[in-house]
Amino acid sequence: MASSISTVPHRAGLGHRLWQSRIDYLFLVPGMVIFGLFILYPLFASQWFSLLNWSGFDANQAFVGFANYAELLQDKYFWDAFARSFIFTLSTVPAQMAVSLVFAIILNNKLLRMSALFRTLIFLPVVTPVAIIGIVMTIMLSPFNGPVNIGLLDAGLINRAIDFLGDPNLVLWTLAGIFVWKWVGVTMVYWLAALQTVPAELYEAAKLDGVKGWQVTFFIVLPMITPFAIVIALISAIGALNVFPLIQSMTQGGPYFASEVMEVYIFRNAFATLNGAVPRLGYASAAGVFFGLAIMVLTILQIFAVRYLRSREKPNGA
Amino acid sequence: MKRITSAGMSRRSFLVGSTALGAVALSGIVPSLAQEFSIAEPIAPLEADGPFRWIDSGDQKAVFYKAFFKKYGEDRGIEVVYDGLPWNEINTVLPLGVRNNTAQDAFCLPLNLPPAFAVKEGWVQPLDDYIPDLAAWKEGFPAGAFLEGINEFDGKTYGLPYTSARVTSAHVLFNRQYMQDAGFDPETTPLDWDTFRESARKITENSKGRAYGLIMGGAQVNRWADITRTLAQMAGRACGDTSIGTGIDFRTGELVFDSDEFVGAVELLLALNADGSIFPGIMGLNAPQARALVPQGAAGMILQGPWNIPQWERENPDFDFGIAPPPAPAGTTGTYVIAGSLASSANTMFINAKAKNPQIAADVFHYLGTEQGQTDWGNVVGPSDPPIFPAAQANSTMSERSKAALAMFQDVIRIGPNPFARNPALSEVAKAYVEPTPSLAQTVQGLFTGQASGIKEQLTTLKSATNTALDAAFKAAKDGGADVSRDELVFANWQPERDYVGADYKAL
Repeated sequence: MASSISTVPHRAGLGHRLWQSRIDYLFLVPGMVIFGLFILYPLFASQWFSLLNWSGFDANQAFVGFANYAELLQDKYFWDAFARSFIFTLSTVPAQMAVSLVFAIILNNKLLRMSALFRTLIFLPVVTPVAIIGIVMTIMLSPFNGPVNIGLLDAGLINRAIDFLGDPNLVLWTLAGIFVWKWVGVTMVYWLAALQTVPAELYEAAKLDGVKGWQVTFFIVLPMITPFAIVIALISAIGALNVFPLIQSMTQGGPYFASEVMEVYIFRNAFATLNGAVPRLGYASAAGVFFGLAIMVLTILQIFAVRYLRSREKPNGA
Repeated sequence: MKRITSAGMSRRSFLVGSTALGAVALSGIVPSLAQEFSIAEPIAPLEADGPFRWIDSGDQKAVFYKAFFKKYGEDRGIEVVYDGLPWNEINTVLPLGVRNNTAQDAFCLPLNLPPAFAVKEGWVQPLDDYIPDLAAWKEGFPAGAFLEGINEFDGKTYGLPYTSARVTSAHVLFNRQYMQDAGFDPETTPLDWDTFRESARKITENSKGRAYGLIMGGAQVNRWADITRTLAQMAGRACGDTSIGTGIDFRTGELVFDSDEFVGAVELLLALNADGSIFPGIMGLNAPQARALVPQGAAGMILQGPWNIPQWERENPDFDFGIAPPPAPAGTTGTYVIAGSLASSANTMFINAKAKNPQIAADVFHYLGTEQGQTDWGNVVGPSDPPIFPAAQANSTMSERSKAALAMFQDVIRIGPNPFARNPALSEVAKAYVEPTPSLAQTVQGLFTGQASGIKEQLTTLKSATNTALDAAFKAAKDGGADVSRDELVFANWQPERDYVGADYKAL
């Protein structure tokens, strides 16, 4: 009995274990410092700022509690921007995922010639600076000699030029289309990575069983990569909520707020006030924190969705 | 919107030109100018503590400073670091720098920040200890350049008011050939609202889809306010243009957004749009992009500032264009565009209270406040940010067209009252003021696109919301201990037809 007790390994204290691994932790320090400076500090600072009536200019930071949040709740333009952000996300993410999945499935076919070239072409907009895309697209979509309008007119699809960026009913959808075009390459890469997880044996077995190509995709491949879809959707959604450079470079949220999403709203209040008004960094921070919380709720929902899907995958009783 | 054609201006030229100029607008790239500067001996012994650092809002100013500081640094044997940043970056970087003691030796204030605030907070220090015989040096400036509450506080001089604010951002620049073909000559007979509209319509009609009468940077929302206010002022509704004075008729202290003149100005813009005379796609253009399209023949007219002139002359030397005053209604005479001060407040430079090299900053300030420095400035910067010395405007080598623009501004622009010069404590009101949404600019943009309707109703709503916001700001300032009153926005002795000068403030 005594001998069996003596075989239980002695568990060292936390301090001792930390000391033992001090070199490992030392290597973590630079990363932790950067994380603290550029992630943690802004995160907590913005929450503090949201409780202040502060322009960002001066040292006078009047604590106002939740007054900024109370004002936000009554701000029509805040809610409009809030809604637009989610409309933008809900429209771009499915489109981006669907189009990129099609590209990925086609380009995953090893028999396809020049697939590397096509992948590169589809990925090219991803590495193109947003500001350049903004300028080029403004020219492309111009109702005055813009190539897109000329093409549509020449094809007889329209009989008058469309003001894609000036029509309040079209502008958000136009920006969504450009956004999808720009980022579809990244999502395609995610899907291609997911497709690598499908065992080659499954394709061979399906071939031996006489399963047709589209059936392989729908009944074998898609179920296998569905769990990845949740993660890809989350990454794409976060991307779609970070659309500030594109909109600022193309419409600055206009015309008359028609493309003002949350980031543009926050920027306008924090930095881009007009006619001599002093900016409101505290108020803009409150909007940012509120929006961040909303995204966090979405993320938590996503976690539950992943867990639910995984639980369905497990065999009964497992 | 009509079926468009590619005749006249080719798609290729449109794309090439727009892309190139758009890129220029984005990057702030400007050609360097070989420039000779006449830099006098230092005003005092200079000993640099690290590099001398200067920050302002760049643009055409950067062209001057990059060339000037190169020579200045060589002459004085010091290293100079110049930063020309966009306003939104200055608004962020500078306050942080002041708080962290890393701000530049010389800086302009963040846009919209009243100088009284910077003095009160200890951001800046007076020039008095650094510029010898300061009074004599200041005498070289035109009357009204230095004002208590603007750049002087408690008898000390803080700011360098070296560029003139007698500039409008919404005068007419036009394609002479298009205008001649339309049967108008604005340089001989300035356009009124009727001929402005008619000329735009005829230019559009004559071009058969190749060009339009008027172009604007509609995506740059402040342009809507600038143009509307200028048109309304030319119609006779004199009012302030900045901060808590925006839209206020200082004779009564009342807001005038819903006046007939403002309503008429918006109606004019909508009428031009209804005529089909405005370039399609302006909502996707900012001001520099709109500017770039005019020399390419895409539009006959643009309402912008004189900074277009040197740029077009430099980049499009074959483009034949003219300038004219902002249009006024037919039969209107003796109306003026009102500027908030004689010196541009945005360009006014200050010395950091904790500057490592304050004497060098003062040395540069002194040079810029001499006739030689002002002339050198005018030679490079031209009418964009014109020198404040009238002699320098006349003697500089800027083009005749640029000088004509500055002469025109003498005729159509008057300096109005500045509330901060009356009571510096009003800066506390400015700090507390929350501009209503939608603002004047946003309201006009919404009316133009049809997202808002009812011009009079919308402008009345704007007036009411602005009044509420002003009252709230005054209350907040008073609650904070500031001795202010809304009555201080009433300047009963203001006559818009003449400049409001120091003696007028004293007579209140």
